[in-house]
Amino acid sequence: MNDTLLARNVLALADDSLLLGHRNSEWAGHAPILEEDIAFANLALDELGHAQLWYELHQELTGREPDETIFFRDAADYLNVQLVELPKGDWAFSMLRQYLFDAYENVLLAHLVNSSNARVAEIAAKQRPEEMYHLRHTSNWVKRLGLGAAESHRRMTAALNELWAYALQLFAPLENAQALTDANILPDPRALQTEWENQVGAHLTASALAVPAARAPRAKSRSEHTAHLRELLTEMQEVARSEVYGVEW
Amino acid sequence: MNDSQWARYEVFEQERAGAPHRNAGSVHASDAEMALGNARDVFVRRPNCFSLWVVPEAAVFAKTAQEVARDDWYAAPAADAPRETYLVFSKKGQPARETFVEYVGEVQAATPAHALRVALETFPPQDVFVWWVAPERRVLKSEQADAASMFAPARAKKYRMHTFYPVEPIMRELKSAQGMLDNSEKTTDND
Amino acid sequence: MTETEQLQAFEARIARGEKIEPGDWMPDAYRQQLIRMISQHAHSEIIGMLPEGVWLQRAPTLRRKLVLLAKVQDEGGHGQYLYHAAETLGVTRAEMIDALLAGRAKYSSVFNYPTLTWADIGMIGWLVDGAAIQNQTMLAHCSYGPYARAMVRICAEETFHKKQGMEQIIRYTRGTPRQKQMAQDALNRWWWPSLMMFGPHDATSPNSAQLIRWGIKTKTNDELRQDFVNKMVSDFHAVGLTIPDPDLYYDASSGNWISGEINWDEFWRVVKGDGPCNAERLQARREAQENGAWVREALAAYAAARGEG
Repeated sequence: MNDTLLARNVLALADDSLLLGHRNSEWAGHAPILEEDIAFANLALDELGHAQLWYELHQELTGREPDETIFFRDAADYLNVQLVELPKGDWAFSMLRQYLFDAYENVLLAHLVNSSNARVAEIAAKQRPEEMYHLRHTSNWVKRLGLGAAESHRRMTAALNELWAYALQLFAPLENAQALTDANILPDPRALQTEWENQVGAHLTASALAVPAARAPRAKSRSEHTAHLRELLTEMQEVARSEVYGVEW
Repeated sequence: MNDSQWARYEVFEQERAGAPHRNAGSVHASDAEMALGNARDVFVRRPNCFSLWVVPEAAVFAKTAQEVARDDWYAAPAADAPRETYLVFSKKGQPARETFVEYVGEVQAATPAHALRVALETFPPQDVFVWWVAPERRVLKSEQADAASMFAPARAKKYRMHTFYPVEPIMRELKSAQGMLDNSEKTTDND
Repeated sequence: MTETEQLQAFEARIARGEKIEPGDWMPDAYRQQLIRMISQHAHSEIIGMLPEGVWLQRAPTLRRKLVLLAKVQDEGGHGQYLYHAAETLGVTRAEMIDALLAGRAKYSSVFNYPTLTWADIGMIGWLVDGAAIQNQTMLAHCSYGPYARAMVRICAEETFHKKQGMEQIIRYTRGTPRQKQMAQDALNRWWWPSLMMFGPHDATSPNSAQLIRWGIKTKTNDELRQDFVNKMVSDFHAVGLTIPDPDLYYDASSGNWISGEINWDEFWRVVKGDGPCNAERLQARREAQENGAWVREALAAYAAARGEG
């Protein structure tokens, strides 16, 4: 039951992780210090790895192979939140985006490990240790940039004001997802949001960053995208689409 | 302040429970907590880590056997100077692999030089080429409770291991089919 | 001990196979040669992230994306290990980076060539990393402990870099016509720059004799290059690719593949800063350094306010 609905929700999880990992890979070779080049690439590798696990489950549910789903699908059919398609911005923007996403993944995965769907629970259990490390890393960074210097505080505040409403979209359910919540496959997004806002709010406040007042997500539907997604996909899919699907790379 | 690369922290890596912590290299970091994270990201991209220690480079008192043999480094501490715990590391022999200094034990001492003097009396100095001592209070250690999130994830990234790419059999097959195999390549891997 | 006695004792240690460690007596020229070599090597790893980095966003499968990111990340890690090894000789990373960004330091000229197609990624792995491994395997026996240990770690990790490249190129030689063409085209463009990676001929390599005497290197540039050519010619022939060298021939008496002459004018031009991508590579590094300044300052200020760092 609910396979089609579950597939769509799993695809949304996969697309979020894929595009965040993709965006963060743009820092490789350009980070503020060598150690962070390496650390941020680790975060990106983990996100791409998590995307792979979700795309594999998506394939089990739909028969569609991960690389076809990733490289031969157009922007209109991507189900990611706009948060992850935005360009990388400055270091404050990328770090804060990763932090807000990590905090979300941590509360999400804490529920998904108890999902009534065994595969969902299994995948969540694989991802959770990595996400715990992510949150520790990005929390450390947010605190230091928030409290460190006037310039870093200014940039973090600007990034937070820009990102907040985009981040709220993480809690906007896909259509008909209530059935999955009722079946204890996915958690209730409103409960998730409350947990996330409590945790994130406390840490931001401790980092001298004011939680923005916005209450409405930037976009209501995961089918709505900015022009950045099309640009991103044009580049990402260029080599794969130089041959027909099925050619081995 | 000059644009800096931050302070340098020496990193000690323990490959498995019971093995000694060995110096792996160093990381730059703004503080100890960040140094521990950086050590994980720099030195645990592949599996085989059980625990990590970091210590500011400035807190390490290091002497090679050559330097120890000179008498210019030691001044006795005041008799009533407070003692604290120092960790002692040494490089023993001339190992062919990457082993440098590794943890050998701890001593109580008042100053770094005093700690080294006590270490020389406590641990067998034969065949030791390098000594390091550092006060334990400056050492930040990873917590065992964090091992799952710090060290286990590297195991899943199989694509980082060369064994993930079985290209030698293909090359051997290709060369064999074309009569290109020389004797050395018939029996051994070519890497 | 007199300076001469110290030098004799030092050379005797090297002859016994002992590693020289930070703090040990060493001739100033040994220290300076090592700082020069290790920092150049570190810079090469860091600059080397850039030509491959531009393909991270275009890798044609999710697996290739993971592999390439892991590889580029490793290169950062290898630069990190190498800067550490140089730091043990008394130079700071900030000084080395300054020298690079000011154009005073060299790095491997191969990274000043552009990556034009996806197949370049496979070819760099096979050819450029193959050449690097040839050199690094030797340097793992270097008489200076920190450099040797960095090399041991790097060699262990870099075997994956080469093999993922081989895997790609082998696949493309058996793939679509466009893939085959891409693979040959990549070999045509990377063959000569990779031979140049071993440096000038021994006769024009002023440092070689001393480096060998002090156990920093154990083989000359030409010996390493010859070993590499022998290996690569046989491998590429096996997969059906053509080496872009009309003068290449097999010398049965020595068992060597003898290549035509390297274009040394081009080599020196690129080394001295006038290659196709020198300006672009340094500009990318300068921007990263400048854009990161406020980040490094903020964390330093945070630590200073708490009595750390």
